Amino acid sequence: MFGLCIIGRIVCGNVLVVVEMFNLLSQTSQRSAPFCFSRAVKSVKMAMCAALRCVSAALPLLTRPAPIWTCQNSLRPNILRTLYTSSRLSGALKFTDKHEWVRVDGTVGTVGISNFAQEALGDVVYCGLPEVGTKLEQMEEFGALESVKAASELYSPLNGEVTEINTNLTDNPGLVNKACYEDGWLIKMTIEKPAELDELMDEAAYEKFIKSLDS
Amino acid sequence: MILRLSNRACVLSGSARLKSTLSTFFDEMGKAGIVLKSASTGIFENLALEDWIHDRVDLQNRSMLLLWRNSPVVVIGRHQNPWQECNLPLMRRLGIPLARRRSGGGTVFHDFGNINMTFFTSKKKYDRHRNLKVVTRALKALRPDLDVAASDRFDILLNGHYKISGTAAKLGRTSAYHHCTLLCSVDRSILPSVLKSNTSEVIKSSATPSVPSPVKNLLDVDPTLDSNTIMDAIASQYSNEFGFDSPVIKVDPTHEGLMPGIHKMAQDLQTWEWIYGRTPKFSVCSSIVVEDVTIKLDMDIKNGAVEQCAMEIPENWLPSEMVNEFTSTLNGSKYCPNETAVLVAAFMRTVSMTADVAVKIHRLCAGVVSVM
Repeated sequence: MFGLCIIGRIVCGNVLVVVEMFNLLSQTSQRSAPFCFSRAVKSVKMAMCAALRCVSAALPLLTRPAPIWTCQNSLRPNILRTLYTSSRLSGALKFTDKHEWVRVDGTVGTVGISNFAQEALGDVVYCGLPEVGTKLEQMEEFGALESVKAASELYSPLNGEVTEINTNLTDNPGLVNKACYEDGWLIKMTIEKPAELDELMDEAAYEKFIKSLDS
Repeated sequence: MILRLSNRACVLSGSARLKSTLSTFFDEMGKAGIVLKSASTGIFENLALEDWIHDRVDLQNRSMLLLWRNSPVVVIGRHQNPWQECNLPLMRRLGIPLARRRSGGGTVFHDFGNINMTFFTSKKKYDRHRNLKVVTRALKALRPDLDVAASDRFDILLNGHYKISGTAAKLGRTSAYHHCTLLCSVDRSILPSVLKSNTSEVIKSSATPSVPSPVKNLLDVDPTLDSNTIMDAIASQYSNEFGFDSPVIKVDPTHEGLMPGIHKMAQDLQTWEWIYGRTPKFSVCSSIVVEDVTIKLDMDIKNGAVEQCAMEIPENWLPSEMVNEFTSTLNGSKYCPNETAVLVAAFMRTVSMTADVAVKIHRLCAGVVSVM
């Protein structure tokens, strides 16, 4: 057990994650003896995978809700399940090459446009969004934002169904410019194929992508 | 050029190539810039041609200019409300159709005296100022004393005051188009009246509004400036500005073989759902007078259909149950005078009423339709 913890510390210098791994190990050791070791190994493996993802996603670029990797008692019972789907539930933003972002919250994805996109667009004067219930295919055109620059098409990042549209944008389309990652969200949709999220860029990859566009 | 294109089309469709023939033709031409002239004067065919080029032609390393003119039509922007922007009853009487384009911007009137120009580029090369310079320089090359300049709203102003051109644009996945009008010899007796709504005061809407401007024709300042001369000047200035050696190719947008899918694009642009149904949600709050009785009418219109309809009618003029039945007949119907008339006629046949009430319903219907 001690050996596994040392590996964890070397993999990522994140103290919080190491603490969680200790918690996990102590949890598993409390269970009945015959199942203890294999479960412990599985738990540590998952914790290490999650730790690696946590490190790669931890970019101090955008303001967003605090990641789940905090040492709080309330999280412990759910930690095993969380580890399996951590990258999809973490609330981290995923980006398309069309400058849309998706933030996952359970089974629903919130979609908006990135800061790069809103700056390029200029002042948004109208948001043309689809009806609730519309079924979207990945890369399908689902609406348009009209700005002083042009009518700019919006492309769905995922397959799914529209569950909600941001009605605040009707009277206040400028929210897309002012708060593109928060109040300026466009639609919420179900996620029919969660694997599609893995194909999208995380924040680091997206930052690299937009830097490459300037060249 | 047209004949050559047709022959190519015959050969290529036989070999069942997936890529469209006009697109392949451009690829094989190997020119960085191409000028096209549409052989059609139909608005829907020309808008479809724009869509087709934008979607199917590789514009990453190639730019294009499309020149086109239409028979009389009013064209609204993507997110506009036609009831707010133009006089629909007048247009119906004059036989002037309405079209909604896919780009943003405001409402314009086209006829043969107006030249439309669409500049197709990659998204990176999207530059409206530069495109408008092509137009102003072309005009100045023809008439050096002409005072024409682009404004910061991307209008072109004549003598610093009269609008002779308006701009709109669309940004897609990888390419963009910027189109603009140019008033050469448009019928100015019709333009102001069709572009003035008869019902804008009763409409509350979040649709994008037009910015009305005083206009003038180029012909007014110089009677020798005709559309053909101007189009030729613009085509050659386009080549100069961008350093292209552009041929001018005439394209027939009804040629489905050359442009597979274009027919459906034109059909889609003509549906009620696109032209009227895409209007952002709005509400109508109007007082109509029927037989000296003032009736307050409140309607919410979503996707061009009546979502909710309420009327305040004095009880002694029409009983409230009759009014409720009438308004529920309208719920869910298209906000359209023909459809409303048909529904009300059916209503009058199916609901028993005295002749006196029937006359009132008939007049009420006329009042409601007057705001459509």
